[in-house]
Amino acid sequence: MSTDASHEVRPVADSATGRAPGTIHEAGGQPGHKGGPRRKGLSERNRPLWMLIPGGVLMVIIIVLPLLLGIYMSVLNLDQYTLRKWVSAPFIGVENFVEAVTGSPLLHAVWLSVSYSLLAMVVTLPLGIAAAVATQNAFKGRAVIRSIFLIPYVLPSFVVATVWRTMLRPGGIVDGALGSVGIHTGLWLNGPQTFWTLVLVQIWASWPFIYLLALSGLQSVDHEVHEASALDGALWWNKLRYVVFPYLKGPLALAFLIGMLHHINNFTLPFVLFGVPAPADVEVLPILTYVTSFQSFRFGLSAAMAFVSLVLVAIPLFVYLRAVKLDDAETPGAKK
Amino acid sequence: MSTTTAKRQGTPTSEVDRPGSHRQHEVLRLLPAPLLIIVLVFLGALVLIPVLYIFLASVNSDIGVANGEFWPSTVTFENYSKIWTSVGLANGLANSILVAGATAVVSAALSVSTAFVLVRYTFRGRLTILRGLLALQSVPGTLMVLPVFVLFSSAATYLGIQVIGTQWGLFVTYLTFAMPFSTWVMVTYLRGLPKELEEAAKIDGASNLGVLFRIVLPLSWPGIVVSGIFAFLLGWNDVLFASVMTRPESQTAAVALQIFGASQEGGAIPFYGQLMAAALVCAAPVVILYLIFQRYLVGGLTAGGVK
Repeated sequence: MSTDASHEVRPVADSATGRAPGTIHEAGGQPGHKGGPRRKGLSERNRPLWMLIPGGVLMVIIIVLPLLLGIYMSVLNLDQYTLRKWVSAPFIGVENFVEAVTGSPLLHAVWLSVSYSLLAMVVTLPLGIAAAVATQNAFKGRAVIRSIFLIPYVLPSFVVATVWRTMLRPGGIVDGALGSVGIHTGLWLNGPQTFWTLVLVQIWASWPFIYLLALSGLQSVDHEVHEASALDGALWWNKLRYVVFPYLKGPLALAFLIGMLHHINNFTLPFVLFGVPAPADVEVLPILTYVTSFQSFRFGLSAAMAFVSLVLVAIPLFVYLRAVKLDDAETPGAKK
Repeated sequence: MSTTTAKRQGTPTSEVDRPGSHRQHEVLRLLPAPLLIIVLVFLGALVLIPVLYIFLASVNSDIGVANGEFWPSTVTFENYSKIWTSVGLANGLANSILVAGATAVVSAALSVSTAFVLVRYTFRGRLTILRGLLALQSVPGTLMVLPVFVLFSSAATYLGIQVIGTQWGLFVTYLTFAMPFSTWVMVTYLRGLPKELEEAAKIDGASNLGVLFRIVLPLSWPGIVVSGIFAFLLGWNDVLFASVMTRPESQTAAVALQIFGASQEGGAIPFYGQLMAAALVCAAPVVILYLIFQRYLVGGLTAGGVK
């Protein structure tokens, strides 16, 4: 469930502990694979597949069924009057989709969602990398600093949003601080500036995620590499640019995809920060879908919008699933 | 696997970190000292100023916070005695702990057995399930909330089971949405366990269940705790489903805080001090869990993300 961006962390697949022979064989994997018939027999006979049933039943009832139901609802004329007997609601084909595209702020919402996600990502990447680079080497108090850096990430989204809402309120602490140095900004929680408020708070909440993944990338840099660049007398900037950063490409690409998914799906932050109905400039896709359902009671239309958001999420998700390795490395002698 | 990998990565070759080995330190240095300090101070301030503000505002009077004070002019702890009824936090926290706690326990139990099958046995559709575990985590909550709501109301209409407005509805929903991630955490963890023990137990005649309970469970407590905590956090942090599917008496802390926060704008004397105190109380269990299990949690997050 992706209602809450900052806490849901995706595991990053592709485990590096490829155990050598003896890992599970994928059904339909290459026959004649090293691993030995004995082990193969062990894992194929007497499988307790029934253990998958509880989870499977839950998935079907609470995810698959509603997903299909949602798609079905998007072709119905469903409002507060027809919802009770939704089975017999009038079928109207693609009308909801047509209305969503032509007669609702859907396209604007898609644009807002994508641009806000990208903007937040563009700023969090350098912040996270800088933090990782700064805390990679041991120094006194590093453990404390690392814990501090993760605070925004650990705080629940609804707490982060509540606190920022209080700080950014007219006459609040932020206005006071900026005013004392002579900067007078307009409203943060209303009007056109709200878009930037959302971007800023999202940045505050999600840079530690980039930091975590960048840190794990840095730790994979071999010691020899450090020694080699020290021997060459590389300047710190050149060392970072040409020696260290290449190691970060993989983790950061992953962080980028997952972060984008989080931002696009984030409902809690804009919802708690601005309330509903939200200002037009922060009516991102999750908020628009929610408002159309539970404020305007246009359930069919909302289902059509939700379908669009699924398509939008599917793009980074597809790339992510392609990039991720699901199974252990099956190659014998895989790097331990 | 999560923890072992993290541990391995977390302690970059011990001889390097040995205090006093100045030369080694120079070799590993990534940033010149002044720049390092600038980065640390900037990011530290970025995080700590808002955090400090929550603390200070929570012991400030409502009027003091409303006037935009950073340092309280009068320090008072009465916010902390008021919020239990004014915000409805007593009720909200009880519901949150009940729902998120039950989600954590059941989700951890189910994900261990599911992951056990996925890691140790081969069957048709196994890869599809693994891929599904990853994909399901990205399904937008806003896509699911309406159909799930309709499904639950239909359960009341057609089956006579009242789900909406009860803690059961939330529990089942959170459990389902927590399962993919919890299972994935367990899958990565169980992969790191040696298989030989289980094989030996089987040769001695242990059943599948016997292997799971006697061998796998005792070895995988760190993984189970991490997977349970993530499930707990999902329930604790959710606003979307809770705002739609609860009544005032079954409200979670997140919804109570959100409603209280949203209702302050119109009031004559906004209760901002109480709001901050309540926010702090809602954050406390999460932060405490994180501090206790920090090593395991961070390992669970980044495990395997490297290669």
